[in-house]
Amino acid sequence: MHNRITRSRRIPLALAASALLGTTALSGCSVANSQEAASGGSSAPSDTLRVVLQQEPPTLEACESNLTSTGVVIRSTITEPLIERNPTSGELEPKLATEWSSKDDKTWTLKLREGVKFHDGSEFTAADAVATIDRAVNSKLGCNVEGYVFGDDDLKLKEVDDFTVEVTAAKKDPILPLRLSFLEVVPAETSATEKVREPIGTGPYKLDDWQAGQSINASAFADYWGEAPQFQKANYQWRSEGSVRAAMITSGEADIATGLSPEDNIGDLGVSYPNNETVALRMHADKAPFDDIRIRRAVNYAIDKESIVASLYGGRDKAAAQLVPSGVVGHSDSLPVWPYDPQKAKDLVAEAKAAGTDVSAPINLVVRTAQFPKIQELAQVIQEQLTQAGLTVNLKMLETSQHLTYQVRPFPTKEDGAIMLMTQHGNQAGDAAFTVDQYMTTKGAQSAFGTPELDQLIATADASTGDDRQAAFEKVFKYQNDEVVQFAHIAHQTGMLGISKSVAYQPNSSSGDELRLAEVTAAK
Amino acid sequence: MLSYLRKRIIASALPLVVVVIGVFALARMTGNPAALYLPLNATETMREEFAARNGLDQPILVQMAQYFGGILRLDFGTSLRTGQDAAEMALRAFPATLQLAATTMVIAILLAVVVGSAAAMKPNGILDRCSSFISMTAASIPDFWLAIVGIWVFAITLGWVPTSGVVGAAAWFLPVATLVMRPFGTLVQVIRGAMVSALSEPYIKLARSKGATEYRVIGQHALRNAAAPGLTVAGDLTVGLVNGAVVVETIFGWPGIGKLMIDSILQRDFAVLQACVLLTAVAIFVLNILIDLGYALLDPRVRPSAGARKRRKARAAQGPTQGSDQHTPQLAAASMAAQSPRGN
Repeated sequence: MHNRITRSRRIPLALAASALLGTTALSGCSVANSQEAASGGSSAPSDTLRVVLQQEPPTLEACESNLTSTGVVIRSTITEPLIERNPTSGELEPKLATEWSSKDDKTWTLKLREGVKFHDGSEFTAADAVATIDRAVNSKLGCNVEGYVFGDDDLKLKEVDDFTVEVTAAKKDPILPLRLSFLEVVPAETSATEKVREPIGTGPYKLDDWQAGQSINASAFADYWGEAPQFQKANYQWRSEGSVRAAMITSGEADIATGLSPEDNIGDLGVSYPNNETVALRMHADKAPFDDIRIRRAVNYAIDKESIVASLYGGRDKAAAQLVPSGVVGHSDSLPVWPYDPQKAKDLVAEAKAAGTDVSAPINLVVRTAQFPKIQELAQVIQEQLTQAGLTVNLKMLETSQHLTYQVRPFPTKEDGAIMLMTQHGNQAGDAAFTVDQYMTTKGAQSAFGTPELDQLIATADASTGDDRQAAFEKVFKYQNDEVVQFAHIAHQTGMLGISKSVAYQPNSSSGDELRLAEVTAAK
Repeated sequence: MLSYLRKRIIASALPLVVVVIGVFALARMTGNPAALYLPLNATETMREEFAARNGLDQPILVQMAQYFGGILRLDFGTSLRTGQDAAEMALRAFPATLQLAATTMVIAILLAVVVGSAAAMKPNGILDRCSSFISMTAASIPDFWLAIVGIWVFAITLGWVPTSGVVGAAAWFLPVATLVMRPFGTLVQVIRGAMVSALSEPYIKLARSKGATEYRVIGQHALRNAAAPGLTVAGDLTVGLVNGAVVVETIFGWPGIGKLMIDSILQRDFAVLQACVLLTAVAIFVLNILIDLGYALLDPRVRPSAGARKRRKARAAQGPTQGSDQHTPQLAAASMAAQSPRGN
């Protein structure tokens, strides 16, 4: 009797153990939520280009292509725009539109390229161009690109013939072609009421499959209108840890890794490039001590930008005097970087104190955790240097969502202390209008304050063209540094790609947002 | 047993509801997702349209009512981030986490039983001291550090396994080896302690005096009685892993629920977060029942058997009596000690 009981107790235990072991053994090779065959992995053939990104794209919807994680995969690889901005020269170049012109800067006529096919085999015509613009700008889809580039105003669209389109803006818009360069073209049949996760494009690569959570695979499009890419297949994976992405390059598991920094141990395989991002401090002048321009100037004198760039960023970044780097229309080469002059900073603080400003009032330096490499060290250096100048600075490290409440209007009003926000701004459009309209106008979404004079200068710059436009924006940046001093600029940053020895690719300022796989070749 | 299960299910329903309400309310207190999903220069109209499109313009109670209505229809909402069905995303990610957790725990338990039992044979002997040192170290090493060092040693320097990913059997090595350390270290300590105490019990002496082999003494008698504390701790450790091994999943690109959950929190993707929490809460509830059942199998004192119920009923009918209807541990031990030799 007892023996039987003992055995019966043992059997369920043994069963449970073997079931668990069996599951484990069976699962030993394949992970749920993954498909091995589709993935490139370490044994991918040499005709596959393997890219490792920081994160999985939330969607590949073409009208969300201004999101970095979406754009880096689809822009000019899966889908293509009508007009493309050359990231190096800043010039607009033909893509699916071959020429464009306007007599009044309001109505623009675009001639489209003939003989272009979508990945589904259909021909690209004016109807597709009109549908693409209409869908992204005029629909209720809530496309990210609409908010980023076009605002509330709709565009009027007209198919003149099969390969000619007319686009009319609500008001004069000399940079409408630049705005259109943000729209990736999709077929007219694409849903205008729902977003599409996997787009059909005209690009050199077509999307094969997307293993959610694991990888995206694409292959060269045989009917591509342009030059055929060298690699027949492309495989995207993602790892959020920089050191793992770097390790994938050094161990030969990937060919290109995005978003690296030298701390990731990438060694010689790390290639740095100017990434159009600028770091600056935005001072909110609604409270003491920032309500006194002398203190805002003192902040600029107190921060040793050159040493920060040299010691924290290995001399790759460049001390900044304005919010846009060179290469962006409106950047001024002649605008001087605020010199590091701690004595002058102290004098200005003393002067403000003598004039009755409460210089001991607390300043909250609001910083986003992990926004870019060594951000915490940078914030600590700034805190220390401002303390040396006689100011009281508290460091407030916040995660993205909380940081955004400080970054965009309406700003917190119950803050105990003056706000100094560390901001990282990237101007991927190549025109200063995209920066100053939101960062410097009195009511700009990311502007703490402004002046009527500066608003006027910005309005004039926005409406001008050619050399006048360049000169007008230079004036805007100079006026901010001389008379407004909302910002203390720190540095124009650099990005870093990991590139394996087996491929050749020269990154440019847009590589972080738009990695054109067709430009990657096998190493010689 | 069925009535026991029924009671457990009813008792667990309330905590599940509380968890869902808590996550629903707390998530919404952490900020408006519009700021994350719209461009920084989006106009007020766009923000209003976003809120209306995603039902975020409704009062919180209305949102909650809609959410619970959805759950009853098995509709957990749509991800703000990907536009996909939230439940589908959570269900797709969960098995990968379960596989990782199961593999890790099986290996950790097997290793811990062997090492813990061996250490308990001679308390304070060399083996005991070594296992103590190793297990303490294993339990204290941070996952993050171990994972990065593992990648450096095994993937880059030796080139034996891939750095990360899920392709091929070799891809399991680093994530599992990283995860196994803590449960192994903890369980060795627990099993060693329980075994030392079990091996000093009278029934072990009795078993030895009856000529039982050492293997039988340890495997049949001591380990069985030492297993309960091990099961408790292993259960807790498994619950931690089922919740998602966030660090390991993130570093190794493992498509599990921990990574999905942390991304949903950072991105304020409420629907996915709620689906993940509900799913893991249900899984933990099921796991707890399994652990209880495991207890019952291991230890007759906690088994809700029909016989015990009948005895309790009969005693209740007779009126209050002195003593308890529960076996005391000593009585149970004595009865087992008396029974054990017959099992040999």
